[in-house]
This record gives sequence, C-alpha cells and structure tokens, in this order.
Amino acid sequence: MNALLELKGVRVHGPRGIRLNNIDLTISSGERIALLGSNGAGKSSLIAVANGSLTPNRGLVLWQGHSMQNLRQGKRQAIGTLWQDLRLIEELNVAQNINAGALGSRNLLWAVANLIYPLEINACKECLQAVGLSTDLISAPIGELSGGQRQRVALARVLRQRPELILADEPLFSLDPTLIEEVLNLLLANAIISPLAIHRTLLMSMHQPDLIHNFDRVIGLRSGSIVFDHPSNELDAKALAWIYRSE
Amino acid sequence: MNRLSPTPTILSLLPALALIPVIGVVVTNVHDGGRLLLVEFVGAALQPSLDPVVVQSAWHGLQITVATALFSWAISSFLGILLGVASASVVWQTCVGQSWPAIVIRRFLAIPRAIHELLWGLLLLQILGLSPWVAILAIIIPYTALVARVVSDQLDTQDRRALIALQQSGSKPFPVLITALGPKMGPVLISYIGYRLECALRGATLLGVFGMGGLGIDIQLAFRSLDFQELWTPLWMLAGVMFSLEQILSWFRSHLRSSKNAIKQMIITVALMIILTLISVPWLNAVDIDLSESVSWNAFPWPTVAELKIAFNTLPWIQLVSSTIMVTLLAAGIAIGIPPMGMMLWPSRVGIGVQSYIWALLRLIPTPISALLLLLFSQTSLAVAALALGAHNLGVMGRLLKEGLDEQSNSGWQALRASGSGTQTAWLYGCFSGQSPSYLAYAAYRTDVILRETVVVGWVGGTGLGWQLIESLGSFNWAQVALLTIVFATLTLIGETLSDQCRQHWLGPSKVRPMILDLQS
Repeated sequence: MNALLELKGVRVHGPRGIRLNNIDLTISSGERIALLGSNGAGKSSLIAVANGSLTPNRGLVLWQGHSMQNLRQGKRQAIGTLWQDLRLIEELNVAQNINAGALGSRNLLWAVANLIYPLEINACKECLQAVGLSTDLISAPIGELSGGQRQRVALARVLRQRPELILADEPLFSLDPTLIEEVLNLLLANAIISPLAIHRTLLMSMHQPDLIHNFDRVIGLRSGSIVFDHPSNELDAKALAWIYRSE
Repeated sequence: MNRLSPTPTILSLLPALALIPVIGVVVTNVHDGGRLLLVEFVGAALQPSLDPVVVQSAWHGLQITVATALFSWAISSFLGILLGVASASVVWQTCVGQSWPAIVIRRFLAIPRAIHELLWGLLLLQILGLSPWVAILAIIIPYTALVARVVSDQLDTQDRRALIALQQSGSKPFPVLITALGPKMGPVLISYIGYRLECALRGATLLGVFGMGGLGIDIQLAFRSLDFQELWTPLWMLAGVMFSLEQILSWFRSHLRSSKNAIKQMIITVALMIILTLISVPWLNAVDIDLSESVSWNAFPWPTVAELKIAFNTLPWIQLVSSTIMVTLLAAGIAIGIPPMGMMLWPSRVGIGVQSYIWALLRLIPTPISALLLLLFSQTSLAVAALALGAHNLGVMGRLLKEGLDEQSNSGWQALRASGSGTQTAWLYGCFSGQSPSYLAYAAYRTDVILRETVVVGWVGGTGLGWQLIESLGSFNWAQVALLTIVFATLTLIGETLSDQCRQHWLGPSKVRPMILDLQS
C-alpha cells in the first residue's frame, strides 16, 4: 500500500504544555484507522496537524511525499475533515453548504454564483443520497435541521470534496446509539468504495472501543504520544487500560 | 424547488455594483483642470503647514470643536437616557399598567431625530444668530432623540421573565425595574454612549465647515484658498484626536467589561459624563466661547397658509424626493458593498491592514470636503454627491465589519482552508458568511443615517431636498423651508421604519437595536 500521509518526529506545543510529542506515523491508502485516547490526549491536535490547519513546532508532515507546509492549496482538497463542531455555514442552505466542499477546485466567480443560485445541484443530491438524506432537504436552511441531519450534511460536504483521506474528529460525539451506528456505517461505507467511486482512507477519533472491530488498525494516544499502534484485533482490555491510564 | 436563494452574504456584496454607474458619471464629467490640484492635495498630506499662525489657529479651533462635542454629547446623553426610560413601554406597563404614554413620547421624539444636525444648525442660525449655542443645540437636539430611541429599544427588547418574577413577589415598580433591567443597561451605556461621542466630534467638525465655529472653519477656509498644506494641519490634528478617542473608548470598554459588574459600569460611565461636562464648560470659556452671553432670539417667521400653498405648488416635489432617494441608494450601495468586496478581493493581513487605513482616512475627512475634492476634477452631479457620501460611510461600515470579524471565531475559515479553498473563497464562505446577517442589519440602519446625511451633500448634486432646503434658507423663503423640513422628516421616518423592518428580518425581533451595540460590545 502507498503511504498517503507521514508524520515524522512531530511535536506541537500548546499554551498548557506539549500537545503532541515526537509523533511518527504513516497512513497508507485504503486503511481504516481508529484513533483512541482520553480527553486531552492529543487526538484533535493530531487531526489538525494531519489536515494542515495546525503547523507543528518540530518535525515533518508529508502528503504523498510532499511537505504539507509547501503543499499547493488546491492539493489540500484530497484531505477531507469531518470536524467535531461540524463547521457548517449557518447562513447558507444545504446545497450551498455541500458545494462549499468543492471550493478548492472552483474559482471566486463560481463561489459568488453559488451564493445566489446553488450550482451543480445533481452533484449535491448525489452526496445527500450517499449519506442517506432525502433530496427534498437540498434547499433547507441549515438552522432547520436536526442534529443527526446536520452531521450527515457535514459528511456530504466532505464527500463533495472527493477526498482521498477522510479525517473524522469524534463524529460520534453526542449522538444517540442509533445514530452512532448509522453515522459509523456511513463513514465506513464511504471510506472503502463510495457511491461516488472514490477509494478512500479513514482516520477517525472516537471513544467507543466496542466499535473497534470495524477498523483495520488502532492508534492509541496518551499525553500527546502514541502508546499503541496495532491491528484492531490486537486491542484487548489490557491495551485499552494502557491507553486510557491516567498520568 | 426554488433554487434562487440569495444569501445575506451575496446581498451584502451586490450593493457594490452601485459604484459602477457612479464612477461612470464622475469619470465622464471629469475635467483636466483639477488633476494637478488633486496631486497637490495628496502630496500636501506629507507636508502639512507648520507655520505657527496656522498651527495656533488649528489648535484653537480643535479645542472649540472638542469642547463643544464633549459638552453637547454629555448633555444629550443625560437627556437621552432620561427620555429613553420615559419612552420605554416596559417602564409604563410596570408602573401604571399601560404603555400609551411611551408611544406618545416616542412619536414626539421621532421629529427631532429625523432632522440632521446640520439642518438643525442652519435653522437655529436663523433663530439665534451667530451664537455658540447654535452648534451645541444642533447636536443636542437630534442626539438626545437618537440616544432615547436606543435606550428605549434596549429596555423594551430585554427578556422580561426576571421582571415578571419580581413583580409577582410583590415588589414596587421602580425597584423591580432597576433590579431586573438596570444591570443589562451597562453594556449599552458603554458602547452606544461612547460611539455617540465619536459622532458628536464629527458633527461639531461638520458644523464648523458650515461656519458654526471650531476646526471646521479652518478646514473650510484652507480649502477655499486651495492651500492644501494649511488644510492638512487641522486634518492631521483631527485625525490625532479621533484616533486617540477610538483607543481610549476601546480601552475603556474592555476595561469596564472585565469588571463584570454592570452597576459599577453604569456608575463609572455616568460619573465620567459628569466630569467631562464639568471640564467642557470652563474649557469653552478658556477658548473665548462664553456660554453665559445673552442670546438674541429671533422668533421663527411662521409662514401663512397662502404662502405654504404657493411653496407647495412651486417646488418640483417628485424630482426633489426621487433625487434624494437616488443619492441615498447609490451612497448606501457604495458604503455597504465596497468594504466586504474589498476584503474579499484582498483578504490577506496586509490587504486588510491597508484597507483599514483607507477607511480611517475616509472617516476622517468631513463629507463636504470629500465632495469639494471630487469637484476639483468632476462637475457637479448626483454621482459626486453619492460618491462623497458613500465614501465617508464606507469608512464607518469597513471599521464595523472588521471589528465584527475580529471578534468572530476563525473555525469556518480554518475548515475551508484545510479543505483546499483559496483565500478569497475561504474568506467569503468561512468568515464573511457568519457576519453577513449582522452586517446587513447594520447596513439597513446606516442607510437610514445616509438618508439624513443627504442634506450635507445636497448642494453638490444641484438637486434633492437638501440642496433645495439650503437654497430656500438662503433666500429666507420660510414657507418652502417649513414644507421641505416636514417632507424631509417624513421621508427619514419612513426610511427609519423600513430599516427597522430590515433589521428585524435579518436579526430577529429580539434584536431591533442598532448593530453598533453588537459590533462594538
């Protein structure tokens, strides 16, 4: 498998100490990786470094062999992030929000036109269907959606981006058990071969060890360091205790 | 499905299109004579006159302007707060169980509010003659009504659950009002009253440009003699005062807010107002402005019904009203659309920094001077009036937009950048979209202000209610003055009602107050 993303000796300082400490990590194409760790372990920081929104104080981040810092802006479209707070644009409707995922490959005129009259509506509908939402919602204001619908629209926006790697920052956080299963299935289904026929890789942070069997690999973070990196079937109670052990 | 869904974001950008016809007309009417003068004007900014006579005169004028602004601001703030409380429905409902007295007071206050301070100045000049009270009263009258409206709006839109709970506990009305609503008024007093001080300083300068004393006279005389080096001396002094005031108010707001004690905030604000009033009176005396000198009162020559009929039949009302509305719409388009358009096209830190300096410069130069500058190389037209008015208000809108964006989280921008968006599209979707409903709501309020301000640039356009009013005042045609004032006031009240509707639409019924409170708080 080809290395998509490589982190080499990555170190990130925060206002309250070290957030990531000497991280060495390689993510290969097609992998489905679960990222575990207690609150404050560095999961969100690792995802932020991986998508380029956080520059490490030390170390290298490589995307397909090229430094993330020097990566052309358009190339970043290959990395899609499902943010924990979703980061939908409340003032726009569903179609316009989904289209925001395509901004990396469109010009300013297209972006302005989309604010008047949502463009490429069929592509938006495909993404909505892929996340199991009715296309009737295409022109609904974001503010009128339920929590679960918003989560799916955020995922639809990521799909519209057509990324090779999906980074999901605790997407199951604050969802009820039924929704957890639905969203996880959507993410996993879209990560392997999506309805849009794109081969994808998934790195997802979460707090549900019982769902680990759906993943190929588990990375455990503690106090900013990787303390576990093995196939998912090797995660046992002892390993979990090790990952979640308090300092 | 209705796909056409113009968002607040695009509705904030589209008004910028008004610049195209305006620039088109200004450029078509351009004449070569003024090009050299314009270069001289820009060059003189770097070499203001340091002649001791010029500096001394500007310093004297500056003191008169600042002291006049301080005094007028403090008095109008006091009166405005009192009348604001008196015109709040919640106060009357709590005290006597009915709200009609509040509505009556509110309607009464709409008239002084609808007339611009310059118009008040010109009217008072006819009644009081050349007196320092002209400029002071010209600011006090409309500002009192404006403060009163904001205070009453704020009181009436507050959450009343605590008030009802206290009332049901058997407490008396005044203690209930003070306890339930008083603490929430602290931020309003700090933000809005502080903002009105900046307005008072601009207003006092503007009144000077029209001959009512202070720094404005120095600016006007220097411009008339086309001595740009002498013009830049008072302008730089004014810039220094405006900048210092902005910094002091900003520090004051953040310092007071950190205390979290609303009652303390209010007490400090009111105490400061009293101190500044006490300082401003001896200060005015020190610069030879004697407020105790007797005022010669010339009763307003009320026109007869016959004179009013003649005036009504003489004036081309449709043309006057339509050109006033045209100038308002074009100026509002420029003021509303250009700041977000500029930031979208040049969203880098350097770009926004440069634009901030341009906005500061546009805010600094009084609108009549901007209009005169434009007239150096273009002929009089509605477009020149709209451009001058739009440019000044663009400075205000730009600053408010930037303040709003600075206080907003950058998570949307970050998310879009991480997904490969360019800086311009990421700014448009990730930054401006979140701010656009508030921006549009404030734009509605600003359009209302621009309509009032058309009187300032009316003479440049050679048409419109403002121009006709100044012409009628000059020819002492009191019947025309009375009718024009009534029409102007009616037009601004209609504008105010429409802008209220727009604000409610964009912000929801709970936020009818001007966005200045949202952006500057």
